[in-house]
Amino acid sequence: MKVLVTGAGGFLGRAVVVEALAAGHEVLAMHRPASLPEAETVPAGVTVVPGDLRQGGSWRDALGGIDAVIHCAAAASGDLPTQLAGTVLATENLLAALPSGLARFAHVSSFSVYDFAAPNWPAVLDENTPLEPRPLRRDAYTQTKLRQERMVREFCAAKGIPLAVLRPGAIYGPGKHWDYGKALAIGPFDLIFAPLSRMRLIHVRNCAAEIVAALELPEPGETMINLVDDERPTHWGYHHGARGAGAPVGLAVPVPYLAVRALGALAWLASKTFFRGRARLPEWLDLPRQQVRWRPIRYRNALARRLFGKQQVRLSEGLQETVATTLP
Amino acid sequence: MTVESGAPLRAAVIGCGVIAHDHLAFLARTSNGRLVGLCDKSAALAQAACDHYAAAPVYTDASAMLANEKPDIVHVLTPPQTHDAIVRQALAAGAHVICEKPMTGTAAETGGLLDAAAAAGRVLVESRNLLFNDPVLSLLETIRAGRLGKVRECDVLLQLDFLAGPFGDTNLAGLGVDLPGGAVHDFLPHLVYLFQELTGTKELKAVHGRLENLSENPRAGFDFLDVLVDAGEARGRLRVATDVEPSAFRVIVRGSQASVETDLYNPFFHYEGPPDIGKRAPLGQMRAGFGLVGAGLANLRNKIGQHGTIHGMGRMLEAVYSAIRLGEAPPITPDDILATARMTDRIVALGAAR
Repeated sequence: MKVLVTGAGGFLGRAVVVEALAAGHEVLAMHRPASLPEAETVPAGVTVVPGDLRQGGSWRDALGGIDAVIHCAAAASGDLPTQLAGTVLATENLLAALPSGLARFAHVSSFSVYDFAAPNWPAVLDENTPLEPRPLRRDAYTQTKLRQERMVREFCAAKGIPLAVLRPGAIYGPGKHWDYGKALAIGPFDLIFAPLSRMRLIHVRNCAAEIVAALELPEPGETMINLVDDERPTHWGYHHGARGAGAPVGLAVPVPYLAVRALGALAWLASKTFFRGRARLPEWLDLPRQQVRWRPIRYRNALARRLFGKQQVRLSEGLQETVATTLP
Repeated sequence: MTVESGAPLRAAVIGCGVIAHDHLAFLARTSNGRLVGLCDKSAALAQAACDHYAAAPVYTDASAMLANEKPDIVHVLTPPQTHDAIVRQALAAGAHVICEKPMTGTAAETGGLLDAAAAAGRVLVESRNLLFNDPVLSLLETIRAGRLGKVRECDVLLQLDFLAGPFGDTNLAGLGVDLPGGAVHDFLPHLVYLFQELTGTKELKAVHGRLENLSENPRAGFDFLDVLVDAGEARGRLRVATDVEPSAFRVIVRGSQASVETDLYNPFFHYEGPPDIGKRAPLGQMRAGFGLVGAGLANLRNKIGQHGTIHGMGRMLEAVYSAIRLGEAPPITPDDILATARMTDRIVALGAAR
């Protein structure tokens, strides 16, 4: 297939291009103009499309004849207007520019769209978990990823395009290590919040391979698939593993989840009392966002395993190469 | 000019970018107005703004919104180069208009819009939210109380790396903002109206200095301004710089008896004058030290409470809405707007001369 990969210069997009090429696809890799890859680094079978989805331009002319889209592009940081532009406006412009007759759309969403308060004890999160009903209480990323996913689903439903919505967990790999599980660092100490809660990690190559494999799914209509690795370490275990792999981590100090929630409750009370509920709190003090990151939840990936089979990269291997890239 | 039956003003917003969030936050809480329509070229951005602040019909065509919703007042929050056509459209639809600064690229164009508003019998206001900020209100109060004596000098010094945002984002094609003074021009009205209001002057006698593109970023147009302005009874320095840290928006007013310095990003209020002068100056410095500690605590509280630099926006809009509802003159008059545009023209001409 001729596949357009948006966000091809990003952490995940780069891996998706490699996997798509390995799967035998012809790849149109969309890169932002200010960070185009050197021509000699672009492999045969990949055509670089310079363009920024936040505005129109000649990139739209390059989309004729594509069979499928893997939509990785999104703004992962910045304030709400920045993320609205980089995620929502960008997606609106992409959808408006797509040619008719697409065979498949693979949309890279996020676990952040779920309602992490919804699962009852014993908390299990899978594709049937409801989406966040009150995104305004969360962060700009959740708000914009929810809106982006809705736009893509409406577009594909209206056009009759088979859609795979892929919701990856925390993607790690060379260049991205999620602070090796620590919540805060105080001097030589790394505070490990909710040390026994599991992290929803997925190695970037595993993630990219499953996203590319989603292009071949036989299912018509739309399919939601959570992407997490089979090995899901605890925060404590991930930090410990990183230390074993040689990561420059501090001395781990566990902070139980109940203590984290107690801090959040105090911060909430202070916000209500002194700031009319408008206090801007960091993630580790904000009750709704605490749940997203640290609530003890079991993440299921049964559907992904059934559809995509075995994963390539094991946690120990992924951690080794991740740590190796951060060492001087 | 009063609104029938004293009902809240029916308000519409055109342009749902960054600054719209501050206007919409005001509309979500005021009793003086009610949002009746949102318009943006991007339906998705308009819908996002609608979902965030208040349910109202969403449009991608301003004409359709004006015709269907018949707003009493329109907030024009689109890029500056589009203001002229949209403001005229809103005035022709019978609406009052609040337009983000700069209203246009030149005083001549601004004058044309003010004439159009006068002919339509509608209020046209250019936003100058910083005049309603806490530190600026304190400065104005100090000046009015005569504590500075006769105001002789005013420096307004902005240092902000705006090239890190859309103005300098070379992933995007074209100019960051299509104005004669480039990206500097987008900020310049703030500096000019602060100078004018704090010194009580309107016209420039002379201006000397530089308007340049030091970074050579093609999207910026101009990214550096440093000028000495001579307004007859008062003089001062206006500066916009992107290449120095930390971000600051310093305002210094010096009078015949005393001086005051403040900052609009991390406000403090440093008064140097009687009685703590001469031999008592060290006492003044100690007092200033305690004042700085208090300012630090207040700034920490304000940052947690999201009381940011644009907190004057709500006050300004409330004042404009109240004036329109009561049929009174708005707090920002056509003469004020035109005077700012003329002084801005003179400064921007330094760039054209290069």
